[in-house]
Amino acid sequence: MLNLIRKDILLQKNEFLILLPALFIYLFFGTSITSITWISIVFCIGIIMVVFSKDEKSSINLLLNALPYTRNEIVSSKYIGAIIWMAFVLLTISVGNWIMHSEMVQWKQLLLITSIVVIFISFAFPFCYLFKSRYLMNASIVLFCLYLVIVNTFIVDLNDRIRNIVHTILSLENTQLYLFVTLSVVLLYVISWILSIRIYRRKVF
Amino acid sequence: MESVIELNQVNKSFNGFQLKDLSISVKKGFITGFIGGNGVGKSTTIKLIMNLLQPDSGTVSLFGLNYKTHEKEIKQRIGFVFDGNIFYENSTLVDMKQMISPAYNNWDDSIFDQYVDMFELPLKKKIKTFSKGMMMKASLTFALSHHAELIIMDEPTSGLDPIFRRELLDILHNLMQDGEKTIFFSTHITTDLDRIADYITFIHNGQHQFTKAYYKIEENYAIVKGETNLLDRDTEQEFLGIRKTNYGFEALTSNRQRTENIFGDTVVIEKPTLEDIMLYTKKGKERYAKSYS
Repeated sequence: MLNLIRKDILLQKNEFLILLPALFIYLFFGTSITSITWISIVFCIGIIMVVFSKDEKSSINLLLNALPYTRNEIVSSKYIGAIIWMAFVLLTISVGNWIMHSEMVQWKQLLLITSIVVIFISFAFPFCYLFKSRYLMNASIVLFCLYLVIVNTFIVDLNDRIRNIVHTILSLENTQLYLFVTLSVVLLYVISWILSIRIYRRKVF
Repeated sequence: MESVIELNQVNKSFNGFQLKDLSISVKKGFITGFIGGNGVGKSTTIKLIMNLLQPDSGTVSLFGLNYKTHEKEIKQRIGFVFDGNIFYENSTLVDMKQMISPAYNNWDDSIFDQYVDMFELPLKKKIKTFSKGMMMKASLTFALSHHAELIIMDEPTSGLDPIFRRELLDILHNLMQDGEKTIFFSTHITTDLDRIADYITFIHNGQHQFTKAYYKIEENYAIVKGETNLLDRDTEQEFLGIRKTNYGFEALTSNRQRTENIFGDTVVIEKPTLEDIMLYTKKGKERYAKSYS
């Protein structure tokens, strides 16, 4: 299974060389907590979904399944890989932030980013195994348009509201709540993992 | 004789297509050609053998093991070649090797290099620029580089130029020298099989028709040509399929000796090609279709 994750890294190495500088440039310009949170989420989800979509073609599924791997391993490699990519982005952000602004990223902020990314993936992966990531892509374009419309016409201060919510969440002092959120997110991820294995097991290429 | 692939009473149905009670066994140390028309279930059967599909009922076992308990062990021992590209298009052969080689315990770089040299494959060119022939050579290189005991190929010769087809057949022939390897490949270019196949497995409409040693087919089957007035309800029963023309009839028998005894010198008996056998079996199933030429 480690070989499968290694394969994804090999496949992705060129994109990384472009993504890393982009991430640093963004860190250099964007300083607010919300923007770092936002950009980390976008980078994490972006990388994870690109890696995922590379293996979606039925010819590639043919290859992976003909190699000595089991279907469980193929699915699990994506779930474990996602955590690795996320850790990679978060580490880069933390280090970058420390170098450029000589301040540490709050652990609560990291938890918030991780939770949102994990929740997204928990829904996205089973969906993509069942259908195709292309649909998800289309859906996000539609959502983005919807967002623009909302911001421009209905709730003009949507961004401020989101910013406030993020600040409120980050300033909460309730450790139990954080623990509860963490556990729920982990549980959701595990359920999604099992569901994906079930879906993929029946897939025909 | 030891079997490497064993399909027992396998059923699999899709929308509008069905494999029915398919039982096939492929003998160790030989080349078995797998023939049948388009859409009769060859690729489906190969996918079942590779565990890319699971049967609705029946059992599939390879090397005496089944996929439920020994999936990885079985796949370690198989080399595969599919019709078409199954690699990452934007990767090079070197990249692909880095991705594929760690999967196999018995991967052998020296064999890989040897085939890359022999096929003159470019290591640093993107796979999507490969021609059909190069793609096939690349697939074959990967299939042969990990000391696989069983090589499974789905239509490996389709779309290849005649020169490389011959080269490929020579390579396959050479692989068989130590008697340890087994090759199972599907094709509809039956002339390829004349050169190398030891056994022929024939399926039609999702059903196994026969698996026979190649020389036995030539002994048993025959094309019979004669005048149409020789045919009546009884004599027609002798044939698997008949084609009637304005000048006479042509038919296929699976019992050459018996047909010779019945018709004697009144008919001409010829050696059939595999294509004849495929064609007349299909015709026989459609029940003596007539064609006037």
